[in-house]
Amino acid sequence: MASTDRFDAIVIGSGVSGGWAAKELTEKGLRVLMLDRGHMVEHGEDYTYDGKPAYEVPARNIMPDGLRESDYFIAQHGYVTPSNQAFYNNDRLNPYDYGEGSKFYWIRPSAVGGKSLIWGRWCFRWSPADFEANKREGIGGDWPIRYEDLAPWYSYVEKYIGVSGSRENLDYLPDSEFQPPMPMNIAEKWMKQRLEAEFPGRKMINARLSNMTEDKPEQNRTKCQFRNQCSNGCSFGAYFSTQAVTLPAARATGRLTLRSDAVVTNLEYDPATRKVTGVRFVDAKTGQAEVVSARVVFLNASTLGSVQILMNSRPQGSQRSHFDTSGTLGRYVMDHIFRVGVKGEIPGMEEFIEYGRRPGAIYVPRFRNIGKDEDLGFRRGYGYQGAAYREPAKPVGFGASMKEGMRRYGGWKFQMGAFGECLPYEDNHVALNPNKTDRFGIPLMQFNVTFRDNELRMMADAREQGEKMLRAAGLKNVQSSVKEHVPGDAIHEMGGARMGADPHASVLNKWNQAHDASNLFVTDGAQMASISCVNPSLTFMALTARAVDHAVEAMKAGTI
Amino acid sequence: MDRRDALAGMVAMFGAQIFAPLARAAGVTPGAGMPVIDQGAPSVQVFTPDQRALMSALSERVMPTTDTPGAIAAGVPAYIEKLLADWAVAEDREPILSGLAEIDARSRQDYGLPAVQAKPDQQDALLTLTMNDALPGGAEFFKAFRQMVIVGYYTSEIGITQEREYLPVPSEYNGAFPYSQVNKVYSA
Repeated sequence: MASTDRFDAIVIGSGVSGGWAAKELTEKGLRVLMLDRGHMVEHGEDYTYDGKPAYEVPARNIMPDGLRESDYFIAQHGYVTPSNQAFYNNDRLNPYDYGEGSKFYWIRPSAVGGKSLIWGRWCFRWSPADFEANKREGIGGDWPIRYEDLAPWYSYVEKYIGVSGSRENLDYLPDSEFQPPMPMNIAEKWMKQRLEAEFPGRKMINARLSNMTEDKPEQNRTKCQFRNQCSNGCSFGAYFSTQAVTLPAARATGRLTLRSDAVVTNLEYDPATRKVTGVRFVDAKTGQAEVVSARVVFLNASTLGSVQILMNSRPQGSQRSHFDTSGTLGRYVMDHIFRVGVKGEIPGMEEFIEYGRRPGAIYVPRFRNIGKDEDLGFRRGYGYQGAAYREPAKPVGFGASMKEGMRRYGGWKFQMGAFGECLPYEDNHVALNPNKTDRFGIPLMQFNVTFRDNELRMMADAREQGEKMLRAAGLKNVQSSVKEHVPGDAIHEMGGARMGADPHASVLNKWNQAHDASNLFVTDGAQMASISCVNPSLTFMALTARAVDHAVEAMKAGTI
Repeated sequence: MDRRDALAGMVAMFGAQIFAPLARAAGVTPGAGMPVIDQGAPSVQVFTPDQRALMSALSERVMPTTDTPGAIAAGVPAYIEKLLADWAVAEDREPILSGLAEIDARSRQDYGLPAVQAKPDQQDALLTLTMNDALPGGAEFFKAFRQMVIVGYYTSEIGITQEREYLPVPSEYNGAFPYSQVNKVYSA
């Protein structure tokens, strides 16, 4: 960084929310420095294995066992393969505390673009009830905002990124500004009709995805080509990523400076003015530390990355963060329940098959505890994501007959998995290990997060209801599974710096502004006071755009 | 087909639908400090020449040449040796090596010949013995060996582009496509 560089804003992290912060801030006229701990990945040219068949990918795109065990033992739970290895954190080089009682899969990216390159791309709005649940049930802290506060910002980001989906007019799953949905296949349509007839009030709807079904030539993006190779990086720019969407927009302003390989260690703070005065980072390539400053700082280092930076920002000799007056920093950490699956065989329709590979298929929205507590033994609810599909037959034996047998497709199958809401618990918390630091001198994160009775009962119900629905719809050979769910496994970790009206009970105010620092905004998953059961990224985008709007207005008004 | 060709092919197929990002897409820039998956020659010699010849012959019996090429043409034996040398853990070699030894011993006993010189139907009979676990360690050998052959074959260029129909860019989705129009299983 040249000493003459001056920035109005610093954005820490370049993932889903950081990219949006950079886009909005630069478009509103600010000179922005965006830092990311990972290496640079340019759109298209650094998608090394995009469009390549397995024989052109190292190890036929199957992660070698030794490498997985030495370097990607956590990332393996996040679908790392040789073709997308460069987007993932190296668990050997960048560890956290895996000690006893710390069982948590902290699945991280480590490249510019963050999780926007590796995410599942499902996009849902929260419902009004999601924002009200904590207050209604007296659990956790009340959200200081409601659906109406966010609705226009949902529209704003949806129109820009392109979300495919079907209009359903459901109170508990508001529609987005949709492009046409990815179509259901014939077996899914058959199932939808039967399931909805057998279970009035339950729905099976089209997936809601950031994979576009219409081009956005003004953004240089092409609609989904039905390759289903999203995780290699998509040179078509068919799904939302920082690289395809927000980074080009921010660069187009001429006001963005992007620095990769910049590992932020802590924020410097002036207790007198109650402001962040500097962002300290270490250049991962040279080991040199630098401090940069700007009038406003957006912290978007991912849920727990941001919490780690906040926790490591503290007065000399103190264990308490500058930003933890409330004592809630690092608490109320959540993740979706995830490890429930149901599957079965759909009879008939074998004269039809799919052509093309969709990146997502169907969704069964939440149907439990809607509008009222149903006295099911658990609060809140879950939804399922799934698909009907046909696979090549799997004959036994060997030789010419086996080879011939593999040339046919088997019948239709269906499977779906649940994502459920985890409640906010004060003692589900993270902390810094006082005795262990990483290669940049940052204390390692320690986890103390477990699922409780509510989550386990919900998983059992999701399994039971999933089986019931598949059987009632007429599927054969219905099976289900519940695997041990280690928190973090859903890669929907949220909370730790929750939003709230009370500065004594929350870290951020309703504008994502730290109660303890007027020029610090945290707009990634750390802000969440509860987590709904739907995928979170779209909500992070909307909250980020809203927070930037407020921050820039406040800067103009001179209050920041 | 290298990446540039593949993308040029896509552009040709899609014409005006493709925008500038694709034109830029080329080259390889692995991330700094990332461990690289070794793709060179096997770093250790897993098989003796005799074992290699037998492994190769048996891979062809699992996935034989029919109206499309078989395992040997598809480079499956080289894949298996590289896999066992560098991509799998060292313990995975043992069931394969001991299985090959058992097969060879049984061949000498039943046919008076090293297994590599046995006729194809005799090799099939020996493989069947392992499949039915009628040789020591047979089932373990068969399961692992069959799996390596199948993975190696269907991830090879021949497997992807000849045995199956390579469909890198479907460009559209049809959820009720007539199965009668499917000539081969699709590969990506």
